[in-house]
Amino acid sequence: MSLELEKSFVQQLQENQNLIHKICRLYTNGEDAHKDLFQEITIQLWKAYPQFRGDSKFTTWAYRVALNTAITLYRKKTKTINTIEFDNKLHKIDQDEYNYEEEEHIKLLYKAVQQLNDIEKALVFMYLEDKDYSEIAETLGITEVNARVKMNRIKGKLKNILNP
Amino acid sequence: MDELDLLKKDWKKNGDKYPKISEKEIYAMLHKKSSSIVKWILIISILEFIFWVGLTFLLKDSPGSKKFESFNIDHITIPLTIGSYLIIGYFTYLFYMNYRKITTTDNVKNLMSSILKTRKTVSSYIFVNLAYFIITSAIILIVTFNKDGDMISLVNKMEAEGKAGMVYLIYILGAIIIIGLLVVLIWLFYRLIYGLLLKRLLRNYNELKKIDF
Repeated sequence: MSLELEKSFVQQLQENQNLIHKICRLYTNGEDAHKDLFQEITIQLWKAYPQFRGDSKFTTWAYRVALNTAITLYRKKTKTINTIEFDNKLHKIDQDEYNYEEEEHIKLLYKAVQQLNDIEKALVFMYLEDKDYSEIAETLGITEVNARVKMNRIKGKLKNILNP
Repeated sequence: MDELDLLKKDWKKNGDKYPKISEKEIYAMLHKKSSSIVKWILIISILEFIFWVGLTFLLKDSPGSKKFESFNIDHITIPLTIGSYLIIGYFTYLFYMNYRKITTTDNVKNLMSSILKTRKTVSSYIFVNLAYFIITSAIILIVTFNKDGDMISLVNKMEAEGKAGMVYLIYILGAIIIIGLLVVLIWLFYRLIYGLLLKRLLRNYNELKKIDF
């Protein structure tokens, strides 16, 4: 593949890397696994890049490939790494904007989401990214009605995890 | 406020908290090797094809099969040979077509189903081969007992001692043991593929099907 193509890919990915980080955050725990998944997603995006026409936004195109990689292609390493340290690192914010209670609550929410299964995480991800239900349904390959029903169930499940 | 909407608020402003990966690091990543399950499935599938195709050719060139040709049973060996080529050709084509359909830009369910279909092609190939192997072994045994001069004299000799049954038994048991070993080998491959590589995929695929009953 040409150098120019490589350059434009790297630039776009670098600018939009938060999207990939967000997916990695949902599907992995620990810094090593996060980096590992990030790398695999990068490889898969690069492989698919020649088919990217540019008629949609890079992020719109990339998140589907990234989700497919996280859910289906990526092979989790067996070793598990301590997650707490990494989570704290991700949540390090300036003292003056630190709202302890809310921050703790958000941390618990992330933990609860991490307990969901791979498909549920994908729904949550797209919900958080403000995708509408027709797009969520299309991305997963299910009907819109069933996507809505499942999303409501997930909300219930999260409530149960948080308030057992 | 909904729990998820609370998370959404944080999700949106969360942008700067992730470690920034530089362009240089991304360049390096592009040239790293993928460890995706599709790659592993492809490697294992090709190994399986090589194993079976290799076995087919190995048996064809063995001294046993040279002797076999001297029995003048072309009406049996030619259809069997053509059959084995057709099996290889058909499944290689099917595998290639299914493999090409695996694309990460597809929707989640289709991607999973393409991977499973590709893998199923290999499984079917193996089952067909196993059946072929069993049928061929049976034919070889029957032909050997009827046409092989050494075997006939051995049977006759043993018959005089009243032990002809023993000869049949030993040969049939031998064939069963070889087939049994093959089955164990195939089972190990299955454990490897479905246990290590496809377990998560199957779980997720079933979960999607459950949502979309």
